Amino acid sequence: MNGTDLGIGHRLGGSSRGVRTRRILVILAGLLLALMFAYVMLGPVLFGPEQVYKALLDQAEEVHHRISVWEVRVPRVLIAALAGAMLASSGAFLQSVLRNPLAAPATVGVTQGAVLGAVLALAISFGSEGALDDLNAFVPMAAIAGGLIAGGLVYVLSYRRAGADPIRLILTGVIVAAAVSSVTSFIVLVSGSHIDSIVRWLVGSLGNRTWDHLVFLVPVAVLILPLVVMVIPLANALQLGDATSVSLGLRTEVARVITLMTAVVLAAGSISVVGGIALLGLIAPHLARTLVGSDLRRLLACSALVGAIILVSADLLARVFSLDWIPFWDIQTESGSRVPVGAFTALVGAPFFLYLMRERMR
Amino acid sequence: MTKHQPINPDTTFLTDGVSTGYGGHVVSCRLSLTIKRRTRTALVGPNGSGKSTTLKTLARLIAPLSGAVYLSGQDINRLPTRQVARQMAILPQVHEVPAELTVLELVEQGRFPHVGALGMLRRRDDQAIQDAIRMTRLEQFVHRPIDTLSGGERQRAWMALALSQRTEVLLLDEPTTFLDVGHQLDLLQLVSGLNRKRGVTIVMVLHDLNHAARFSDRMIAMSDGDVVADGAPAKVLTPRLLRDCFAVKALVVTDPKTGAPMCIPHSPIFSDDQQNAAND
Repeated sequence: MNGTDLGIGHRLGGSSRGVRTRRILVILAGLLLALMFAYVMLGPVLFGPEQVYKALLDQAEEVHHRISVWEVRVPRVLIAALAGAMLASSGAFLQSVLRNPLAAPATVGVTQGAVLGAVLALAISFGSEGALDDLNAFVPMAAIAGGLIAGGLVYVLSYRRAGADPIRLILTGVIVAAAVSSVTSFIVLVSGSHIDSIVRWLVGSLGNRTWDHLVFLVPVAVLILPLVVMVIPLANALQLGDATSVSLGLRTEVARVITLMTAVVLAAGSISVVGGIALLGLIAPHLARTLVGSDLRRLLACSALVGAIILVSADLLARVFSLDWIPFWDIQTESGSRVPVGAFTALVGAPFFLYLMRERMR
Repeated sequence: MTKHQPINPDTTFLTDGVSTGYGGHVVSCRLSLTIKRRTRTALVGPNGSGKSTTLKTLARLIAPLSGAVYLSGQDINRLPTRQVARQMAILPQVHEVPAELTVLELVEQGRFPHVGALGMLRRRDDQAIQDAIRMTRLEQFVHRPIDTLSGGERQRAWMALALSQRTEVLLLDEPTTFLDVGHQLDLLQLVSGLNRKRGVTIVMVLHDLNHAARFSDRMIAMSDGDVVADGAPAKVLTPRLLRDCFAVKALVVTDPKTGAPMCIPHSPIFSDDQQNAAND
């Protein structure tokens, strides 16, 4: 550091954190791409890198290579990456705006609302002819509606006089989440033989996800992106407290509503396609924070990458455990479905997160 | 339409029959204050006297129950809040410190009212940021997370945030409360320097009467929501004020070094009831 330039400007030599962040983001992006490539290689039939490459370029020697790469593995890994990124971004916004390290889509009721929407749509259709399966676009739509309604309800219930105080929002969120979950449990209990496909929504699964789901997820992500960019400076100011936000010229309640809405759409959109993936929205932003800090200009991109990496690698694990030719054990449910990815995010994520917290407390 | 008050170029703040309070609870009634440009005003008073509420009302952190606050002739609660933020910065009493946020990342946010919707910082912003960091002597801490700083450094970081806003008015709510005496003096000298060198209008709530007397041009003493004394420190800081307002017996002398009035409180004065209870 020298006398005339404190090394703080982006054009004046770059801050140490700015440079470091760029390096970290490049490494994470590289890691994500490598994982996604490995994901496409892996399956009931193992492909070599060259086979994947050829299949991607539509030059596969065998038609079924092209089909399993393009029709099964590529859409599934893209959904995993996008859904993970959206869920993690939502968590990053929520933690900043609610100024609470416990904030996540699941602690403001959005996860539970979206899951209830999906489960309700499935349950209603069970009785009828041609029951809905996971492939039907009606399920994601019901899920996104459920998430938005739950998020809106939490805000309205915690509104008093001038606005919704962050602590009250979290408390209301936890209570609404519990109430909504009990409704879901009731539906699970009465749904009898269809319990299997419902549980996969509860836990979160990427099984049977195809381009149809991606076609639903991408527009949500694209439409919300400009809002995400616009909301970053607002959320950055809000995390300094309401009084400081006012000092900086923010209309705090308006800014809070816009930011929360963005977070809710991100989470509900993601959950509507993959189900209630446990812990991801909570853990990914925390991991990202240890890498690049709390400034959302950096934290958001990093959280998105970390979220994508976690969900892709968790599903990679889930797939490995479901493969016949892997000499581990083969976990299958009675109806023949595979281990849902959500089981792995919690199983692997929880101990890792606990370890991380212990390290940081020192 | 924005309500206009006849603009007096010497006046920063004007309150017109303002009643302040929270929710339904009235703290003070029909307060009329005029605060001149380029002056340092200290609001003092016992706990619950309404001094903080008054400052928060000037700061638009709470809306007046009735009446209006004018900043440079315009109703502060009707102006776009971003426009107000370019003229006035606030140092609140308590701060939220997000984990892992560095000093620089905090101070950069002071440019929020000046930059466009996308929040891109330009060279002019960098200058304001560097300047704020130098004034608060935080050069060696720019890349340190705020939660790893000491109390005094931390308060300087928040000062730097307010300074990088480059405003002509600065409001401070008990800025020295959690600091030791060395850091208290350091902060108050910084504030006085801003006033002297840059002509920043200062309004602050202070608990320490001697600091208030030494670092302000005007003291406003409040009690039960009313202004009970208002004027130059030598006029306001009297044994009588200390008795009536703070219920203490005190000696007031002149600081031999600074020439400011200085009080030495001796003992609390109990009301008759309390006295009787003590005698029982």
